[in-house]
Amino acid sequence: MKAPQPRKVIVIPCSGIGKPLGSVSREAVLELVENTRKGVTETICLALLVSGDEEALQLVRSNRCIAVDGCPMQCAEKNLKQAGGNLVASFKAVDALKRNRKLKPKSVTFLDRDGLELATTLADEVAHKVDEILKK
Amino acid sequence: MSEFLKTVFGKFELRVRKGYHYVEDGFWASVEDDKVRVGITDYFQRTLGDAAFVGFEKKGSTVKKGGEIGTLETAKAAVSVISPVSGVIEEVNGKLDERPELVNQDPYGEGWFAILKPSNIETDLKTLMSADDYFKLMLKKLETEHIAPGV
Amino acid sequence: MVTLPGRKVGVVSCSGEGCIEGTVSRIATRLVLEKLRPEDTVTICLPLFLAGGKEERAFAKEYPTITVDGCDKLCAKIGTERHSGKIASSIVITDLTDSGKCVQSKSKRKLDKEDLALAERVAEKIAQEVDKALNRGDR
Repeated sequence: MKAPQPRKVIVIPCSGIGKPLGSVSREAVLELVENTRKGVTETICLALLVSGDEEALQLVRSNRCIAVDGCPMQCAEKNLKQAGGNLVASFKAVDALKRNRKLKPKSVTFLDRDGLELATTLADEVAHKVDEILKK
Repeated sequence: MSEFLKTVFGKFELRVRKGYHYVEDGFWASVEDDKVRVGITDYFQRTLGDAAFVGFEKKGSTVKKGGEIGTLETAKAAVSVISPVSGVIEEVNGKLDERPELVNQDPYGEGWFAILKPSNIETDLKTLMSADDYFKLMLKKLETEHIAPGV
Repeated sequence: MVTLPGRKVGVVSCSGEGCIEGTVSRIATRLVLEKLRPEDTVTICLPLFLAGGKEERAFAKEYPTITVDGCDKLCAKIGTERHSGKIASSIVITDLTDSGKCVQSKSKRKLDKEDLALAERVAEKIAQEVDKALNRGDR
């Protein structure tokens, strides 16, 4: 009998390129999948869902997903919903900013210290949600 | 005919609402019967970035022209929101507590900050800029300042 | 209705979580925007564009666009062509690397010297394509 596949949570950032918070969302998710929740989380490119990539669509429809957006435009959440993804939670970097008012990320290309710190904080928040989801 | 004067910077359209009165620093006042509604301009919100947190002076507070009626914090900066007129704060826009992004999405409409009962309206209005004059000022600022390079 | 600017070129980068080449794509695009051609370019935010962003779509319909993709999945190219028609040119990072494919073993965000050098080379290539799109000779 085959062992059951380990469960994973798919976490998708908006990765907006126009604002620091887009880069923060991306950095937070990569921190999660490469480091703090490695092995139990995975990410894919948001655009693959829109271009109809079969593998990407299958992944988000058959696993629980979290959208991590930079700003209130919520492109990750919108695109994930439109693709029929199994969205169970959403985060916005701007909300993390509200809870960490001393941080003022300014750069987009390479995150500055405040941007990296905000990304780490956001990654922690998402990680707790991942843990909650995996307990169910 | 459009209710806005418009120009484009990069891919963004920047608008100035006709019929409103303006302060050079980026605040507007709109006279509505015996009240004045105030807020920040499209240009100013674009320079500040995504609004994250809004604070208000108390309802009933007396404010002098140029005085603070609230604060706006964005990803980039924290600024005082200034009243273009003197008066008493009658109402503040509570929607901005939950949805500060309204300041970015609709700065002349749903993103308003406060409504004042003005105490010196005729004199105060004479010191403010018309939409045309603020628009010209904005065009000059765009030539010399960068909102964000190429974005 | 959105009013549009004088002559500019839109640069659309893929979002790039799939591999390090996606990160290179983003950084190269930003370098063009910030340093190499700041007066001539705007960036089109791909997720916003795909989600229906008015300004992004209006711009990409009317102005030349250059897409920059990390890999041969061509998310930026496909998305832009789908919503705004013909693109001026397409750059694919893996076409410019020795391996010719995504390097999955590397971290997707920690760029080493080689990756940064690649980003700079790609940025130069994007800048050349911008000049072509604007009908400029050698700069």
